[in-house]
Amino acid sequence: MTTEQFLLRGWTWGGCSLPMGAAVLVCYLVAFGFQRRFSCFAAALGLTLLTLRSPINSLADGYLFSAHMLQHLILLLIVPALAMLSLPRSLSLAMRPRVLGHPLFGWIAGVGAMWLWHAPALCNAAVSSRSVHALQTVSLLAMGGLFWRQILAPRESERLVPPSAILYLFSACVTCSILGIIVTFSPVEVCSIYSAPPIDRLGLLQFVRAGWGMTPERDQQVGGLLMWVPMCLIYLSAIVVQIARWFAATEGPLAEKL
Amino acid sequence: MSELAAILTRAGLSNPEQREHWTMKWISTMDHKRIGILYLSTALVFFVIGGIEALLIRLQLAVPNNRLLQPDEYNVVFTMHGTTMIFLVAMPALFGLANYILPLQIGARDMAFPRLNAFSFWLVPFGGLLLHFSFLAGGAPGVGWFAYAPLSETPYSSQLGVDYWALALLVLGIGSVGTSINLIATVLTQRAPNMTLRRLPLFSWMIFVNSFLVLMALPVLNAALVMLLIDRLLGAHFFLPSSGGSAIMWQHIFWAFGHPEVYIVAIPAFGILSEVIPVFARKPIFGYEFVAGSTVAIAFLSLLVWAHHMFTVGLGHTVDLFFVASSMLIAIPTGVKVLAWSATLVGGRIRLDTPMLFCTAALLQFLLAGLTGVSLASAALDWQTKNSYYLVAHFHFVFVGLIVFAILGALHYWFPKMSGRLLSERLGKWTFWLMTAGFNMTFVIQHFLGLAGMPRRIFTYADLPGWAWMNMVSTIGAFLMAAAALLFVWNLVTSLLNGERAGDNPWRAWTLEWATTSPPPPGNFRSLPPIRSRRPLWDDANPDRPDPMVGTKWRAEVHVPEKNETAVAAFIVSESAFFAVLILAYLFYNAVPEAGVGAHSLNLAKTGAFTLCLLLSSITIWRSEVSLDRGNQRAMRLWLAATLVLGGIFLTGQGLEYGTLFEDGASLNGNLFATAFFTLTGFHGLHVCAGLIALAIVLGLARSADFKRHPPPALKAVALYWHFVDAVWVVVFSTVYFLPHLR
Repeated sequence: MTTEQFLLRGWTWGGCSLPMGAAVLVCYLVAFGFQRRFSCFAAALGLTLLTLRSPINSLADGYLFSAHMLQHLILLLIVPALAMLSLPRSLSLAMRPRVLGHPLFGWIAGVGAMWLWHAPALCNAAVSSRSVHALQTVSLLAMGGLFWRQILAPRESERLVPPSAILYLFSACVTCSILGIIVTFSPVEVCSIYSAPPIDRLGLLQFVRAGWGMTPERDQQVGGLLMWVPMCLIYLSAIVVQIARWFAATEGPLAEKL
Repeated sequence: MSELAAILTRAGLSNPEQREHWTMKWISTMDHKRIGILYLSTALVFFVIGGIEALLIRLQLAVPNNRLLQPDEYNVVFTMHGTTMIFLVAMPALFGLANYILPLQIGARDMAFPRLNAFSFWLVPFGGLLLHFSFLAGGAPGVGWFAYAPLSETPYSSQLGVDYWALALLVLGIGSVGTSINLIATVLTQRAPNMTLRRLPLFSWMIFVNSFLVLMALPVLNAALVMLLIDRLLGAHFFLPSSGGSAIMWQHIFWAFGHPEVYIVAIPAFGILSEVIPVFARKPIFGYEFVAGSTVAIAFLSLLVWAHHMFTVGLGHTVDLFFVASSMLIAIPTGVKVLAWSATLVGGRIRLDTPMLFCTAALLQFLLAGLTGVSLASAALDWQTKNSYYLVAHFHFVFVGLIVFAILGALHYWFPKMSGRLLSERLGKWTFWLMTAGFNMTFVIQHFLGLAGMPRRIFTYADLPGWAWMNMVSTIGAFLMAAAALLFVWNLVTSLLNGERAGDNPWRAWTLEWATTSPPPPGNFRSLPPIRSRRPLWDDANPDRPDPMVGTKWRAEVHVPEKNETAVAAFIVSESAFFAVLILAYLFYNAVPEAGVGAHSLNLAKTGAFTLCLLLSSITIWRSEVSLDRGNQRAMRLWLAATLVLGGIFLTGQGLEYGTLFEDGASLNGNLFATAFFTLTGFHGLHVCAGLIALAIVLGLARSADFKRHPPPALKAVALYWHFVDAVWVVVFSTVYFLPHLR
């Protein structure tokens, strides 16, 4: 098999993600109609389906830890952020009880999702069991939503002010980096199922190992590095946006007081 | 002689009592301006020492096969030069400028914690003495400023030099963290009313951002030094591969500090350029928001890219690739800055006075340093040039070309404010041209030397084609720089004694430090001009065409937090970095269990019970705070006492655990588990002790009448620290005790 052949054949069309995606699309259109922000929603939906249906998923399904990390990254950090941006500005995301709206809760959700799903037992279970994998996908999206709500909530008043937001994003970045560093340099396997897959479902093992040179050690390194560097760059981009928001603000409720 | 007497009389120092009084006033000072000058003078003294060492290096390398210095002596001189210039010159000089200028720029009377300020300063001479004492204690360190393991370990460096080096850096590191906590607290709590965070002058803004970087980076070095000292003095082997340790680990930790360190000294230099260039181009800075914002981006990125110092270590192509990409990203925010400074110059009425000359040269030289930096960020090129003079040239363009030039620019710019007298422009221009010629002679040619293959860190070299004359040029350049430095000192001394009076605002600048007398009175300001933009003095002088007002939208811009809690929160940031390193080290060294004592020797249930006590103590201290808020001081004292008892129980439990382990034959210099375990829990225990002492002091004070009338904010600050100690234990407990059970 060559890389091109794999990229053509690696798509999967079964499963419930397509009908669910369609259902979410209908819900969105019914609730908010077709407006400017729809592009963000389309991007979020498209990315989700791409992550779950494209060759990335075939690789993540028992072959490459790094592909599975890429899925995490997209589902936890990119898709929920886009989904938040797709909501109309007037929508309130206030939550009951109030504790759910506390920044610490959002932070724990966002950072905890990463740490939790990389506990060796859970990481292996998510690969070997369909239902755990589905649970993982949903929980990543949900926890990502809780995390980004603090930064990108549609209503300005429900967002953190820039200095707090920077602190929030930076501490999340550091905490994920630490896990990334551990995964990158760990002499032991984090997700052992990838180094010795029980079944070679798509007949890709030889191709991935020899053709791409992705040995289990290198695979884990790439996974760790994805979590360490690109993930931090996503947080950093969000921080840059917060800096822009901080300096761009011209006036406000306090203006007349000073 | 009579001339000296005349000078002394003029300065009011003619009799011994007056002189003693003068000395005591400086030694015991807590005024930020005097401390700033003390920092700067200390940096100048060490600059002379580090400069002489640099000249020795250049003399040794002037001709091939030179035997002026023996190899060992060369190593010592080269180590001391690097260590001195970074820790005893660049950092104290920048802290000195920050100390002097920052409170003035934000319209404060002094730093938030004057005593802490004096303490942090005095650690610098103390650290410097410790480092140089190694000459008397049988051999200064000769392991490079980076002290790579295992060379820095006892079997390879058995003399005391490295111990003194590590202790000195530890002392200096603590001082730097102290200063940074102080600077953060000062910016957040001591600003003049209306000096909102978005109106901060760029120098102050950058010092503020930089202080966070210090808080996160220096503790990482401190952790590494502590581990090295435990290796050397207590016989452990964190970094000794021969007994299972990891020498690469040292490099990781060192560069996790070392890379941010470059920015720790560069960001204040950026701040200086951002102050001086607009004033001498007679224009406001172009794109304030971009200059300020890119600083934050640089600070974050700098924490992310340390592995590019380790391309040649052999981390593998995968790791290299990621760090090539992230390192190159730094070029974006730095490029934004260079563009903003250049755009400020465009169309300005540029006055080329000495400060501006130094800053312009710094800008151009930094541009070249940045370009070679981008080339070094590419792993393939790095492999070819890393261990050559190309790299030496690159980082000297950063450290001297940018930072020393910016500091010299800053000294010429702010000297009139500090002394009330102008420096001689004629001498200043001579200094500048000598310095620029000397610097470029010394270091431009080293790029070519490096590309011609001359390796760095060698004490002499063979007479290969072209090497001899290039090295000679470099050495002559170094002596020109020395001449410039002497001229500068001469200028300082003569101008201080006979310089022209400066007046309040000789450069017609716009920030608040120029709104007071030169030098400023003890309380800094008699009155402040109205502050509504980033250039209050411009607005004051041009009421008909003021700068557009910088509005206030966020409460965070004007909010003044309680200063003790702010300081403790900043301290917690630095302590988190310290513990993060120790915890990561523990995880790394115990990923594959060794023979002997290990996590299985620990008693989960027993320690779990003691952990519960520690967690309960967080609740009791919270109740104590609540009682204080409700005005029930008796309950507050009772809850505080309960916290002390619970903390004591925890420490006792920790002691019992240690006892059992010792009985099992564990010792700090045993296997890596024992080393990492005792280091991590030991330092946590030390923090619990410190917390208990602080709590006991608060409890003691709480009985006084003063406390009862006006409860000070101490309890809240100490409680914050206590919660942190407990939170660290939760992480340590999960890592050390719980994690092995999940396997």
